[in-house]
Amino acid sequence: MQIPYYPGCTLKAKAMALEQSTLEAAALLDLELTEIPDWTCCGAAYPLNYDRMANLVPLIRLITHVRDSGANALTTTCSFCFNSLRRANYAMRHDPLVRRRVNSYLHDDFAHRDYEPDPAPYQEYAGELKVLHLLEVLRDSVGFNEIRYAVHRELSHVHAAPYYGCMLLRPAAELELDDPEFPTILSEFLLGCSCGCVEFPLMNECCGSYVGVSQPESSLNPVYRVLTAARLAGANAIVTTCPLCFYNLDHHQRELIERFQSFQPLPVVYFTQLLGLALGVPAEHLGFDEHLVDPRPLLLEKEVTV
Amino acid sequence: MNSRPSYFRVSTARVRSEFMRRLHELSGEDVVSCFQCGKCTSSCPMTEAMDLMPNQLIRFCQLGQDEVALHSRTVYVCASCLQCEARCPKNISIARVAEAVRTYAAGEGLEHYGPDAVSLEVLRAAPQQALVSAFRKFAH
Repeated sequence: MQIPYYPGCTLKAKAMALEQSTLEAAALLDLELTEIPDWTCCGAAYPLNYDRMANLVPLIRLITHVRDSGANALTTTCSFCFNSLRRANYAMRHDPLVRRRVNSYLHDDFAHRDYEPDPAPYQEYAGELKVLHLLEVLRDSVGFNEIRYAVHRELSHVHAAPYYGCMLLRPAAELELDDPEFPTILSEFLLGCSCGCVEFPLMNECCGSYVGVSQPESSLNPVYRVLTAARLAGANAIVTTCPLCFYNLDHHQRELIERFQSFQPLPVVYFTQLLGLALGVPAEHLGFDEHLVDPRPLLLEKEVTV
Repeated sequence: MNSRPSYFRVSTARVRSEFMRRLHELSGEDVVSCFQCGKCTSSCPMTEAMDLMPNQLIRFCQLGQDEVALHSRTVYVCASCLQCEARCPKNISIARVAEAVRTYAAGEGLEHYGPDAVSLEVLRAAPQQALVSAFRKFAH
């Protein structure tokens, strides 16, 4: 199966482990992720104001380019990219004012068609393309059961806590990925990977997100709460889909170890790293070197051959 | 925020001020329908870094206390995780209100946060999406 794939800026720089593990694991599942040729930044934080047309235009432009190539869906792994693209697409589908304005902007945008002898006329877009998270592709097109059959390394001794964070779930009415209060898609995914799954109360809580950039102190408390809650529930690793959750949860542990005597570090892994491990991708191809809290000792302890 | 007065003057003119009109225009939210159940505050992961709790912010906005809302740290601590919105019984999006207050404050020239304010350590380590989001939300 072939599907256009939007990587996003972070996957090309600070979260190379996420992209590498995604591509390695997808190749083993016969899932061909073809990178969109001329992708631009998704804008990361979706605009919440009503004068937001300038922020929506690049997102929809990118989506219309995918549509023009003949595809009917696109996928992404980063929670922020997923959130922005899916919400922009939702606005195009359900808000006539947004649809009219963005289409009128894009109607005049022939920059990418200039060098063609006979530019094709712009076709109005009304949100027909499906924006999917890779988890949805794995659930609906590949099937978690199929992943279970393809498992090469058993991970059942790894008790991973699924951590959704904010961008994957909310606003639920627009994203429609899963229930915002009791999500299960990551748990099902983990069970499909033969991995132990420990749900904990703060799995849909925010990790402090980008506020850590302007006020580095502010994200320590949320991170501490999430990690200790996962540890108390019996987890020995925490699984995320988002490079920013990964950064906050992983990077802040150095400071938490200094501040709290009783704090025990908890390895943070991307969901695709676990998928790759389960499918038998060599561990050196999964980018574990980027982690501050190295998950490899845990894997060795739990008898996973790395 | 140290300059918060100990009493507030509430009047029709305040509640129907330009600030209130603009707040409604930008956010599309009806802050008046909030009945202060406090569920947003109990859901918010960032309250330790806030000076006004989310429900207090909405209360001050209801009463047209623009200088309190505009000078509070709260709207610059909001991570727009939308936990408050998901749990609000009156379907108010507090994150939208916070964004409207930020936009209004930027129009007044009140808060400025730029690349100079970020420490080198954060610049080197933080993922790109965090920097893009932080500048989008807090810098104008």
